[in-house]
Amino acid sequence: MTRHSLISTVLLLALLLSGCGGSSGSAAPPPPPPPVDVITKAEAFQFLNQATFGATEAEAQRVIDMGYAAWIDEQLQQPASLQLPFLKSLPRPMFLFELQDDRADIWFRNVVYGNDQLRQRVAFALSEVMVVSQLGALIEYTYSLADYYDMLALNAFGNYRDLIEDVTLHPAMGVYLSMLGNEKPNPALNIRPDENYARELMQLFSIGLVELNIDGSVKLDTLGQPTPTYDQSIIEGFAHVYTGWNYAGAPSFELAFPNDNNQTVPMQLYPSFHDTGSKKLLRGITLPQGQTGGQDLSGALDNIFDHPNVGPFIAIRLIQRLVTSNPSPAYVQRVASTFNDNGAGVRGDLAAVVRAILLDPEARPDIPMDLDGKLKEPLLRLTQVWRAYNATSASGRMPFAGAYIFFGQGPLQAPSVFNFFTPFYAPPGEIRDSSLVAPELQIATEFQNTLVTNYLLFQALGLTSEATGLGEDDVFINIDQEMAVAADTDALVSMVAGKLLAGQLSPTLETEVKGMINRIPDTQAAIRVGEAIYFIATSPEFAYQR
Amino acid sequence: MTGVNRRYFLKAGSAATAFAACPGAAFSQGIGTSAPFPDYKAMVCVFLFGGNDSFNMVVPRSNAEYNVYAASRQNLAVPQADLLPINPLTSDGVQYGLHPSMPGMQALFENNRAAIVSNVGPLIRPTTKDQFFQQSVPLPPQLFSHNDQQDQWHSLKGNTQSNTGWAGRVADLIRTNVAGQQMATNASLFGNNLFQSAHETIAYVMGPTGPIPFEAFSNSGDPNDLLYQQRLAFERIVNANYSSIYERGFAEIQRRAVAAADQVGAAIANAPILNTVFPTSQLGIQLETVARLIAVRDELQMQRQVFFVAAGGFDSHDNQNQDQPVLLGGVSAAMSAFYDATVELGVSDAVTSFTQSDFGRTLTSNGDGTDHAWGGIQLVVGGAVRGRDMYGLYPALAIGGPDDVGGGRMIPTTSADQYAATLARWFGIPDAELDIVAPHIDNFGTRDLGFFI
Repeated sequence: MTRHSLISTVLLLALLLSGCGGSSGSAAPPPPPPPVDVITKAEAFQFLNQATFGATEAEAQRVIDMGYAAWIDEQLQQPASLQLPFLKSLPRPMFLFELQDDRADIWFRNVVYGNDQLRQRVAFALSEVMVVSQLGALIEYTYSLADYYDMLALNAFGNYRDLIEDVTLHPAMGVYLSMLGNEKPNPALNIRPDENYARELMQLFSIGLVELNIDGSVKLDTLGQPTPTYDQSIIEGFAHVYTGWNYAGAPSFELAFPNDNNQTVPMQLYPSFHDTGSKKLLRGITLPQGQTGGQDLSGALDNIFDHPNVGPFIAIRLIQRLVTSNPSPAYVQRVASTFNDNGAGVRGDLAAVVRAILLDPEARPDIPMDLDGKLKEPLLRLTQVWRAYNATSASGRMPFAGAYIFFGQGPLQAPSVFNFFTPFYAPPGEIRDSSLVAPELQIATEFQNTLVTNYLLFQALGLTSEATGLGEDDVFINIDQEMAVAADTDALVSMVAGKLLAGQLSPTLETEVKGMINRIPDTQAAIRVGEAIYFIATSPEFAYQR
Repeated sequence: MTGVNRRYFLKAGSAATAFAACPGAAFSQGIGTSAPFPDYKAMVCVFLFGGNDSFNMVVPRSNAEYNVYAASRQNLAVPQADLLPINPLTSDGVQYGLHPSMPGMQALFENNRAAIVSNVGPLIRPTTKDQFFQQSVPLPPQLFSHNDQQDQWHSLKGNTQSNTGWAGRVADLIRTNVAGQQMATNASLFGNNLFQSAHETIAYVMGPTGPIPFEAFSNSGDPNDLLYQQRLAFERIVNANYSSIYERGFAEIQRRAVAAADQVGAAIANAPILNTVFPTSQLGIQLETVARLIAVRDELQMQRQVFFVAAGGFDSHDNQNQDQPVLLGGVSAAMSAFYDATVELGVSDAVTSFTQSDFGRTLTSNGDGTDHAWGGIQLVVGGAVRGRDMYGLYPALAIGGPDDVGGGRMIPTTSADQYAATLARWFGIPDAELDIVAPHIDNFGTRDLGFFI
């Protein structure tokens, strides 16, 4: 991957222009030296906002020193920061839902402080594809939710085939999409297998509704119509596959009840509740009758894993979470091809997929384009501010369970299996009229944006190292450095812009922030600082991930 | 450089084809006249996310039909003796009852204030079981899928690429008639939705309790007021030109939020306290806010409003017998409180609330719940409603019966287009423009189901 610095672009232009004269007599100039692959601070920020929970100046310097690929390689080796061990270290409350605040606490601390930033970012992306949620039946299964998230983090750089098996057999998913306790048909009672998991694993976690080309575009038949990937009979085939599973270690299927232990270990097959008939799968494959539940599951997940849609489907979803809302077909194809074969003949290597996403020329563009990037997820705007300002609380904890209210998002807190927003959301106006999408804008309503803006006001002016009377769990940002330069408007704005925007402040924002700060007397240093952080953190340019 | 020739495909089809597929795109004159409406009307869509198992909401009560129902539903059947009797004015020879958790809705029905629309769902053409299996008529794509069927109810788009909702098209059609309104015709208390999405108008999304203010903004007009200056600076920032389409999209929402929080926020702050007591459920809170907004309709110069409120949790794959009384009881309590509030405000004849939901559910069980199906039953409530009657055919509930495409999935015999067209006509859309609201209405014999007086 070559990269043009601004200087080399100017040189190239000069060469092209000087060539217009067509002077054939002059000797060819010596070829210019190859451009030096220097990473700017802005480029490092762009990369880190794709790969972490928020760029910081310190991490940007490491990227500049190491280069992108070495940074990724280092991250791939980082062990996962986990949640369940922390929850298990706490006293067991009367009701497990009381630990949901602690689950938020350990999630925030892992994503703000963890060394496994890339792993955590990918795990969060996966948690928005293979959704389970605290909102609903799992409110009382806090250990299970934490373990599910840990499972995603542990699989983030593993193989997709292992991931979907771990997702399928996880009791959190079993409860959420009701595969747990799903039993073989009983025609006398008009009971047939539950279709919930069968449907959503295919529609939302793996292949989608219609056949795709490898570049993610919809395959059209000769009449210009899309081809459905499955029909109701295939849903029913998979629904029969997913019968006979329940909490592990119970005396029987009927006596399988949740407890602290079995909600964090894979579900177990109870063979007499598994349907042993043949089962229709995708692409003309039928599982023979008489197989065990394990054989059926393995065959069914292989059948899904082998579907050509999985590569482009997962490529689009991960690219959208990490890099851009509207990847080009070529970008999708490059990533999907890596999914199909990591270069060593392995299909489904997620580490290779993540690497391909982040090192792609479209993620590392030479020249910024109008359509590059995406809106930051609201929650990631908060974590970026917290990371840039070494946020902490008096207790050291971050149990900000109210994040869901203010930001419309929280870890494993989606309103349904369809996540906080759909990959296809196109707001009315310019974006929709251009046939583009902007998923994050689905939750950027007038209402939610007001809440986010207000929270960032509280954060910048009320929840800082200068504030007094904070609760012991109130997460505050450290503004010591800003306080030291608070009287110097230019230095103050430059410092905040450097931490949040890599110094790339638009003229309008710069004028307005400075104008506002200059209205506030030097004696009110913390307010001067707070105004600078508030205006920059709520600006459209900060909401935008380049 | 890869950016220059990017083609975008995530939204199938180009903007041009999307426009061409939408019959509403060509209109430009609104409703034929730009005269203001002489009256006020509001529609309130109560969306039940997840797919309401509505064949347990309205149940046959007479013995023969109940026995068929009970044989199909097995352990999910509501006990016959528990059903709340209702007595439709037009009898199909069968007696019916409501789910025992719905006494409020029973009273509304028996007092002529609620109508039942039976076996309604997305259709492109009338469809028989044979036609379904022979695929000899076009069908809405991705039947039984949540988001696709929600989109069908919201948009009535059938198999086109339209990305507007039917309430959005209604708002577009009347936009010149309601030019003086201080707030958008479409308001949502439950987030963005396709239902209210439009070409010419933009829905306003507020919170369940209404708009909230931007903190530390003042509207004083005093140049020495720091909070006024703060607001002006914020507005100049979101009004600036941005190079990225995403920044522009974000800034536009911020602009709308600042403007609406002032106007609507000020109006609702002056709204009277209602005597009607609403349940403190998600739906109750939203409907109370709608009632308060209706109370200040004159202050905001509103003539036509469409509100979107919703409740979730209807996707009863398991624990249905435990969850359903809470879900249906919640709908009944909130909708009947809302009706009472419209009476208190003196607007009960001008306000109609109605349900929509992803789909009905399988009559068969998966053990302790049900799966995704198709046709279902909806409720329409208001003083203008020709209540105490059932519109559309209540299907035979036998498994394998004439309307069952498998597992007790009912083919709708009334289309969502007919349902929407009936509501839109009451709202003031002329007959000639109903096909813009309900694109497939001409495929169905009856354009007006008759549930308005």
